[in-house]
Amino acid sequence: MDGLTGNEAVVMRNVCKDFKVLNRHEGLKGSIKDLFSRDYKTVSAVKDVTMTVNKGEIIGYLGPNGAGKSTTIKMMTGVLEPTSGEILVNGKVPYKNRTENCENIGVVFGQRSQLWWSLPLIESFKLLRDLYMVPQKDYEEMIDLYRSLVDIEPVLHKPVRQMSLGQRTLSDILAAFLHNPPVVFLDEPTIGLDVSMKSKIRELILGLNKEKNTTVILTTHDMGDVDALCRRIVIIDKGMKIYDNDIDHLKNYFGSYRTLKLKLADDTWEEMLIDEKTTDVMDVIMAKQKESKIKDVKILEISTEEVIKKIYEGSAK
Amino acid sequence: MNPKRLLALTRAGIMEALQFRLGIFVTLFANLIYLVLVYYLWKAIYASSGTDVVNGMTFTDTMIYLILATALFNFLEMFVVWDMSRSIQSGKIALDLLKPMRFRKYTFWSYTGNHVVQFVLTFIPTFIVVMIVTKGAINMGINLLWFIIATVLALVINYNIEMLVAPICLFTESTWGINIVKETIVLLLSGASIPLAFFPEKARMIVQYLPFRAVYDIPLSMLLGKSGSDTWQGLVSLFGLQLIWLVVLTVAGNLFWNCAVKKVTVNGG
Repeated sequence: MDGLTGNEAVVMRNVCKDFKVLNRHEGLKGSIKDLFSRDYKTVSAVKDVTMTVNKGEIIGYLGPNGAGKSTTIKMMTGVLEPTSGEILVNGKVPYKNRTENCENIGVVFGQRSQLWWSLPLIESFKLLRDLYMVPQKDYEEMIDLYRSLVDIEPVLHKPVRQMSLGQRTLSDILAAFLHNPPVVFLDEPTIGLDVSMKSKIRELILGLNKEKNTTVILTTHDMGDVDALCRRIVIIDKGMKIYDNDIDHLKNYFGSYRTLKLKLADDTWEEMLIDEKTTDVMDVIMAKQKESKIKDVKILEISTEEVIKKIYEGSAK
Repeated sequence: MNPKRLLALTRAGIMEALQFRLGIFVTLFANLIYLVLVYYLWKAIYASSGTDVVNGMTFTDTMIYLILATALFNFLEMFVVWDMSRSIQSGKIALDLLKPMRFRKYTFWSYTGNHVVQFVLTFIPTFIVVMIVTKGAINMGINLLWFIIATVLALVINYNIEMLVAPICLFTESTWGINIVKETIVLLLSGASIPLAFFPEKARMIVQYLPFRAVYDIPLSMLLGKSGSDTWQGLVSLFGLQLIWLVVLTVAGNLFWNCAVKKVTVNGG
């Protein structure tokens, strides 16, 4: 690939990914028909995505469910082969030499654990140390760094199956960084965690990125993660890249947006998006209160879905 | 090839297997029930035959063979097919593919620890019990060394058979039936449920050259000094058969897996 400066951790050029899916028919008759069916349709999960991630960056990769985020991550890690286009991770094509690529990346899939289920965490660490052939000195330094960033003592000697979801996710993140890979992929690492665990994990990611200058590619649905970690975000929807810019740029547009949810007398929730710059939230609540009794009030940050809606509506590009 | 990696995986496997100590006792107990059944079944067979020696094997010979075959089965048993189908359905396969080792090698060495534990906790006790009960019917000499070498080869052959069957679930998305078929074929044709000596002449001629025999019958023959394993010529031909199948199945397994993994990487499993 030409036109590279050597400072790129990940380069994607015109990457597309199509899946062949069998057209399923309805009902029992349809199921029997499917047994012999050659009727495939092509589903494009990722369409012509081009992006560059520089070394040491933490980049937020956002999009609604089914947008193609995980497919992109899987292509970058080498598990999936792109249908067309080029990908380079650490200067190498990930799917061509998967084993070699794996030594230079770390991966956390928020829903699954790569740790040894019935063994204490420390044993998983030792095993990973040997698998990745990490020198003992580097390994000890890394553990010391972990100690300085989070309190790992309570989890270190606990079997993974006995851990809470938060402890397990934390452990999985530590395991992904253990061999000090230049690039780490975090696929929805904060999914299902409580507020304090979320902030702990954010601090940890930030700390590791700062200490080791690790490039982090993060997918999430939580705008809080994005706020705390990412300087730059890329948004994809329906497989296409629709936004790629600084978070500040986006914040200028959406930082003042809040979702206001009101529970009315008839137990229905009314939802509205309010720009605090132009409208006062309290005014809206008061105006509503005159019309009907309000049972409950929720004020939320703007969700990724709404950001995407806004981008489509053309308020930021 | 880095032995440290392989040892680390084996070590973790041993520790994991020891977590399920109750399972090991249950296996031993289940074996006992199975062997009681086998005992009476063969007793009836010998009683109805009217002679002491059937197909060149006495009742004691047959029992020793079958008891050790059962113990060997527990030791060699792998769950590659189950584990792979589960990890494909749950998507965990992606994480296994992201290990810095070739998948087939990584999978094999994640099982070795369990084999070590099973060998020590099920095979050796069974062997000792057989020795005590038969008052030392098994010769303790160089045959033990041949047996151990043959067993290690059998382990790899068995793994390769599993690895030829397991990727089929990538195409069928269901494993139960396939696994049952595989298990039945292996148990029958390997001599684990009926000694090969009892097979009809023509069937034995064919079965003798199949890879299944290399898993159970050859190591047991080595241990018991049967099938000519007490002569150099016999040893060479038995090891030769194992080695040929080892190479053939490894190559075939590699090709099939590389083709199957394409399905994961191209179509997302």
